[in-house]
Amino acid sequence: MFYLRLARGYRAPDLGRWLLTAVTGAMVAAFLLRALGRAMSDPLGSGGAVTRLLWCLPPLAAVAWFAAVAARAVPGQRPERITGLITAGAGPARIRALIAGETALAGAIGSALTLLLFLILRNDIAGASLAPELGMGVELPPAAPVTLLVLVPLVAGLAAAAAVPVPDTLPGSSPRPGPRGYHPLRLALPTGLTVTGIALELYGLRPGAAEDGRPVRLPAGLGTSNLAALGGWAVTALGLALLTGPLLAWAGRLLVIARPTPLRLLAGRGLTAEARRLGPPLAVLALTLAVVLTVVRYWVHAPGTADILPAVEAGLLVGCAVAAVLTRLAEIRTARREITDTLLGLGAPPRLLYGAVAIRALTAGTVLLLTGGLTALLGAAVLA
Amino acid sequence: MSAAPPDNDVLWARGIVKSHHGTPALRGVSLGVQVGEVLAVTGPRGSGKSTLLGCLSALLPVDEGEVWFNSSPVHTLGRTGRARLRRDRFGFVGSQPHLVPELTARENVALPLLLAGAGNKAAYTAADEWLERLDIADTRRLRPERLVQSQRQRIAVARALAPLPPVVFADDPTAPLHREAADQVLRILSSAARSHQLTLVLATHDPELARYADRSVALADGRLTPPAAPTPAPGTGPVAVAAAGTGSSAVSATPR
Repeated sequence: MFYLRLARGYRAPDLGRWLLTAVTGAMVAAFLLRALGRAMSDPLGSGGAVTRLLWCLPPLAAVAWFAAVAARAVPGQRPERITGLITAGAGPARIRALIAGETALAGAIGSALTLLLFLILRNDIAGASLAPELGMGVELPPAAPVTLLVLVPLVAGLAAAAAVPVPDTLPGSSPRPGPRGYHPLRLALPTGLTVTGIALELYGLRPGAAEDGRPVRLPAGLGTSNLAALGGWAVTALGLALLTGPLLAWAGRLLVIARPTPLRLLAGRGLTAEARRLGPPLAVLALTLAVVLTVVRYWVHAPGTADILPAVEAGLLVGCAVAAVLTRLAEIRTARREITDTLLGLGAPPRLLYGAVAIRALTAGTVLLLTGGLTALLGAAVLA
Repeated sequence: MSAAPPDNDVLWARGIVKSHHGTPALRGVSLGVQVGEVLAVTGPRGSGKSTLLGCLSALLPVDEGEVWFNSSPVHTLGRTGRARLRRDRFGFVGSQPHLVPELTARENVALPLLLAGAGNKAAYTAADEWLERLDIADTRRLRPERLVQSQRQRIAVARALAPLPPVVFADDPTAPLHREAADQVLRILSSAARSHQLTLVLATHDPELARYADRSVALADGRLTPPAAPTPAPGTGPVAVAAAGTGSSAVSATPR
């Protein structure tokens, strides 16, 4: 309880993290409770219950992803708070538990609000259209909603706890930067995956492929596909996502070749140095956007296939991915404050620093357009 | 308004007052620094040495008082003007190296020259020369994270000296160093200042290190204290002797 008093020092970024965790937690809870309601209304053994529960997994993963990225940013953004805690005697485990606890609390409050709404709606307020979704008229076994709703804070809290970096440093000193650059294996694996995936997908889409049939039924009204094409696409998407970080680092190196100006030098070297941190959230964002845009395009071209729930889910996924990128950018900005101060102390004009950021953004955007665009293109080919 | 500052002072300050969020750091400091002089500012931790160097080197704006560089006012300059002055006229070595971690040693040293608009070739040639002179030429392709602290600090010294600025400020440059490395850094700084006719303002909490200076002034609680005894200066140059004779740059404590 004592540690919860720290919430009094919350500022906009902390509140935003908290609020977003709560809102996404509430939405995931809504998905879970809907699955429960349908399971109660439907006659036993009517099927589809597992599918509905599986539909809850992507939003749950999105919440976990955002919680992890946000928790990682806390020590960087509030160094004075972490320093104060360490000086006061809190160890790494306690700091980890504190941040995880905050995240879990936000998730729990969001879930509890949804449960409240669920119970109110069940009380004969919801119309006939919503009744089967809520399991109206069927007695609610108390353990069921509690079990489902514990899931959100648990997943968010665990993700946060796993992500918090607690380095051994003196109070007040900035933590040592992590390793830079990529291991050759880390480069070889995604390259191999991408090449294999593209080859597999091309095999699945070869002119005579129609004879294989399209045995795989896709969810969300996306029709059918064959295994080779779909598997090939999935492998390629994974490979391209893993390749995003190294590509960013290479793009940074490309910027500094051939007698760079200070602008290009700072932009390129900075991009290479931050590629490891920038890579994962940007890769997730590119992948999410590629999938969502491909699906939306399919829905637009084949009217009547769209469904409201996948659409809401897509919105939630994109929202979490964007929030994770923004959080990571804020983290990097805070981590580089010292470097920015050094450059300003040397007399670098602010215009130069903004210019470097703009070039970095442009380069990263180009890399994302490449990986995301290729993912979307191959995805569209699978759906066609 | 005061009269214009003496012509032979490269830096001249009158009645500087500066506080950090209400905590007074400087309470009226006046001093002059002559061209080519090595001036030591001594005093215990918290006496205002860093703030004084910050105000003189145009890093910090002063709350009250005047700072003049080469007979042009610094205290009236805006943020951009101060940045340009720092870039084109001043070099600064802090108590921490404060290198840009993603740049190599060579690029770090060349950075001020590049920022000032020097050509790539000139900037990197100068950087290589200074790295050579500071005995760290073999580190030039390495990033700071792979170097030890004394090497990093020497890179910071090279970065401050490479553009050959008229004035070099060193704010406790030996703080993170062992005694041996500290001596080396100060020897390099003072000898570079003498051989290139640079003015060096050196802040140190160690009165013993003030022996590298031609003249030293002492700060305590944000005020200059009158020098108790002349500091023995083994390498006293003719400039310092002249300075002692004119009296125009004599240190005056102005109590408020």
